[in-house]
Amino acid sequence: MTRILDPTLRPAAPAVTAARASRPKRFDGLTIGLLANGKSNGMALLDRVAERLAERHAIIEFVRVAKTNASAPVLEEDAEMLAGRCALVITAIGD
Amino acid sequence: MTTAPFRESAAARDGVDVPDPWAAIEACYENGWTDGLPVVPPTEKLVDAVLAAGPWKPGDVLLHEPVRDRAVTAEKAAINAVMAGCRPEYFPVVGAALLAIGDPAFMLHGPATSTGGSALMIIVNGPVSERLGLNAKANLFGPGYRANATIGRSLRLVLLNCLECRPGVLDKSTQGWAGKYSLCFAEDEASSPWEPLHVSRGLSAGQSAVTVFAAESGHNVLSHGTGDPEELLTCFANEMAGLGSFSPGRSVIVFAPEHATHLRRAGWTRLQTQRWLYDHAWRTLADLKRGGKVEPAFFTNPELTRWLYQDTGRGRPPVPDTLVDPARVREGDELVRVHRGLGPDDILLTVGGGDAGGHSAFFPSWSRGRSVAFVTKEVPA
Repeated sequence: MTRILDPTLRPAAPAVTAARASRPKRFDGLTIGLLANGKSNGMALLDRVAERLAERHAIIEFVRVAKTNASAPVLEEDAEMLAGRCALVITAIGD
Repeated sequence: MTTAPFRESAAARDGVDVPDPWAAIEACYENGWTDGLPVVPPTEKLVDAVLAAGPWKPGDVLLHEPVRDRAVTAEKAAINAVMAGCRPEYFPVVGAALLAIGDPAFMLHGPATSTGGSALMIIVNGPVSERLGLNAKANLFGPGYRANATIGRSLRLVLLNCLECRPGVLDKSTQGWAGKYSLCFAEDEASSPWEPLHVSRGLSAGQSAVTVFAAESGHNVLSHGTGDPEELLTCFANEMAGLGSFSPGRSVIVFAPEHATHLRRAGWTRLQTQRWLYDHAWRTLADLKRGGKVEPAFFTNPELTRWLYQDTGRGRPPVPDTLVDPARVREGDELVRVHRGLGPDDILLTVGGGDAGGHSAFFPSWSRGRSVAFVTKEVPA
């Protein structure tokens, strides 16, 4: 028998280091982040989502962030700002 | 055809045990580890030989993809290089290319996954090209040379196997193209009118280097009828200004030696050539609008708004459009020249191909946006 080696990362997938955030039970009274991924219509899609949410829930505020490039990770300062201000963040791709 | 049985190994290094080479090849297919072509089974002996040919320890991270937080170690890179068919001495080039596509400026997540379907172009410079037998001449982008074929293929296998860029799943290329199997070539430094590409990018001639780019499929630029630089470059500028590939992104031009000779004889410098191409590769804003190439998102991105309006020609600068109906052709749009790219530096010039023939190539960037930067990394000696 000959051993051939696994070329994938599956056995060494990165450990999840962050705990999953708790899920809010209600949207009333929350500040919600909207993170568009940088594609042309991401924010347009999120704006519609925000409209629908605002019709049904007493949302305090929506905080909008649009990545300037879909290929790049979200900027650290934007991620920290969203984490600091928002109870939850909705992200969208919109091509 | 049946697949020979294999079993999960309980040994320290993850893998599978196989009874013979044919079963090994089939096991790689069975596990989803190939690009569709057969691979060389990555036995421990071969992988260790490849690892030993580079300066990296097995656990060194050669590529970190930040969007999905995936780290590719030298060992995983070596396994994929073996599978691609690399000889051990190719590994420093593979490693340098992985470091290059992992540079934050390259923003790998887009080229690896987007509908644009780009190939990972590797241009090799310096003494390593001749040492490894990398082709810089006839059939530059085609088959026939082990180093070209397998170094380029190594990157694709890393994307498939380590970054899980499976077609139709994470790799959403609408069509992709054949260069996604492998796109690696050496610059024909001897035929170039200019200093070697890597020297123009800050390294020394004695160093070896890779320069990477995320490339749409190449466009042939055919010209046999002139030795005049401006007539010749008119063909290139026209191709670069085609609406289908038009964008604010970067370009790679690979001049055939015959075309390079015309530029050399006329004494055209690299910068002069880049500037001429940039100045002449433009469409009017009205043209772009008529082709549906002006999107609302361009007006919420200051860099792209500047791109549209930075050359207003002889006309009075129009009032930039707003989000309302940006596609409508307005008075003055016929006078606004929108260039391909943001400036002459966005046009990378290199040389390669057979000595006979007036066939050069223009490789556009892959997206409708700014896309990725050129990145050059030294190949370790």
